[in-house]
Amino acid sequence: MSRYSTFLVLFLLFIFEGTVFQILAPDQYGVELLFIPRWVFMVIIFIGIFRGRGTGMFYGIVFGVMYDVIHTSILGVYAFGMGFIAYLLSISIPFFQRNLLATVLTAIVAAAALDYYVYGMMYLLGVTSIQHPEFLYSRFLPSLAMNFSIIAVFAIPLRKWIRYVIRRGEEEEKL
Amino acid sequence: MQSFFSNKRLIILLVCIIILVALIGYSMSDRRSLSWPEQFVTDTVGWVQSAFARPAHFAAGFFENVNDMKNIYEENRILKSHLDEYAALQVELNELRRQNDELKAALDLTENKSLFDYTARSAIVIHRSPDRWNEFIGINKGRQHGIEEGMAVITSKGLIGKIKQVSQFTATVQLLTDQDRANRISAYIDAEKEKVEGFIEGIDEETGYLQFTKININAEIEEGQTVVTSGLGGIFPENLIIGEVVSFEADEFGLTQTAYVKPAADFDLLNYVLVIEREATTLDGNINPDDENYSEDEDSEDEGEEE
Repeated sequence: MSRYSTFLVLFLLFIFEGTVFQILAPDQYGVELLFIPRWVFMVIIFIGIFRGRGTGMFYGIVFGVMYDVIHTSILGVYAFGMGFIAYLLSISIPFFQRNLLATVLTAIVAAAALDYYVYGMMYLLGVTSIQHPEFLYSRFLPSLAMNFSIIAVFAIPLRKWIRYVIRRGEEEEKL
Repeated sequence: MQSFFSNKRLIILLVCIIILVALIGYSMSDRRSLSWPEQFVTDTVGWVQSAFARPAHFAAGFFENVNDMKNIYEENRILKSHLDEYAALQVELNELRRQNDELKAALDLTENKSLFDYTARSAIVIHRSPDRWNEFIGINKGRQHGIEEGMAVITSKGLIGKIKQVSQFTATVQLLTDQDRANRISAYIDAEKEKVEGFIEGIDEETGYLQFTKININAEIEEGQTVVTSGLGGIFPENLIIGEVVSFEADEFGLTQTAYVKPAADFDLLNYVLVIEREATTLDGNINPDDENYSEDEDSEDEGEEE
């Protein structure tokens, strides 16, 4: 059961990003700034740090593909980006696992890297034509602040939950 | 950490990049319909999304209602002042409609469905791309409900976009604000004397207004005129409201004019939308625009209109 709980939680977060948050998002009520949620991806980085590179990359690719198919018209952009960045930043050494600040910072760096990568790709493919300063001030920085505050609040319960899942997984294997 | 990129991994990475480029090339090709794995994923996820969308819309609607209540008094007063005007218009409309029917009957035109006629199917919005690079929304109706690619999508206020991709039980709508070059809609300005035709082509980044391009340089446009769909594009019906003209200018080469249109519909806070299927049959594919007779006919029609 605990094996599927990771996927289930990530899937629910994915639905929250695309459906619930989009209905309640501030820019729907006249705010000029755009807040792009990267919660799924930050949780994937957490999972990658605690459970190893392979797991992080696996979830990165799976949810990247879902993001591509459902939210964009171009396949492969998110699947590659999320898989690759999750692979690079799933640094599963004890220092990162013990030091919560390091974990949170890695997740934020990953979210920032993904945002820049996607902007680059969309600019390259001609999907968007907005210039860099506008991207930086009206999309990137607000999103970064929002994602940071969310992950900072939920970091401790998130770590507890991941450790619990790992423990349950080990126990189930023994049985 | 020591073998960050061993040889084997580097090769895997390169293969991945090749696959990425191939996938992008595959998905950028025009007129692609969804493959069955994509349909499976969107339908499965769409089912869960609809379950979440309803309560979320309900919650958002509640706050919206509270906001509305503040403005009710003011709105009521303005609406009352418009009411007299409305009655007069209604009489005129009935009169004209009756006349139109009689004239059509006289010409034996009753059999043909006109470009006005359409059927509407209501749908609920179940997702919107969070990164906003694409202005796409998802709705919970698909091919099984009779929805096809290219159909117009409206709210009660006006046109918002067209169907981009259809799956079995869900569909993706491309909003008018999307920056795609192929996102183009045939429309006209409802001027006093004549129809001023052109295309709605995406949004102007600076002002946030829709661009209405390819207008005849001699056409007289005024601010505040209404822009509606022309139905000449093939799939859209005629006279769906798009917005009103805010400003206009000659384009960079001075050959055509470009008008900026404030959309009538609100692209934020979309919850329920209507998908429009027009009842008039689409044009035969056999018509050859290079054919002499055809072009002559068109010319003579144009002249007739201008007179």
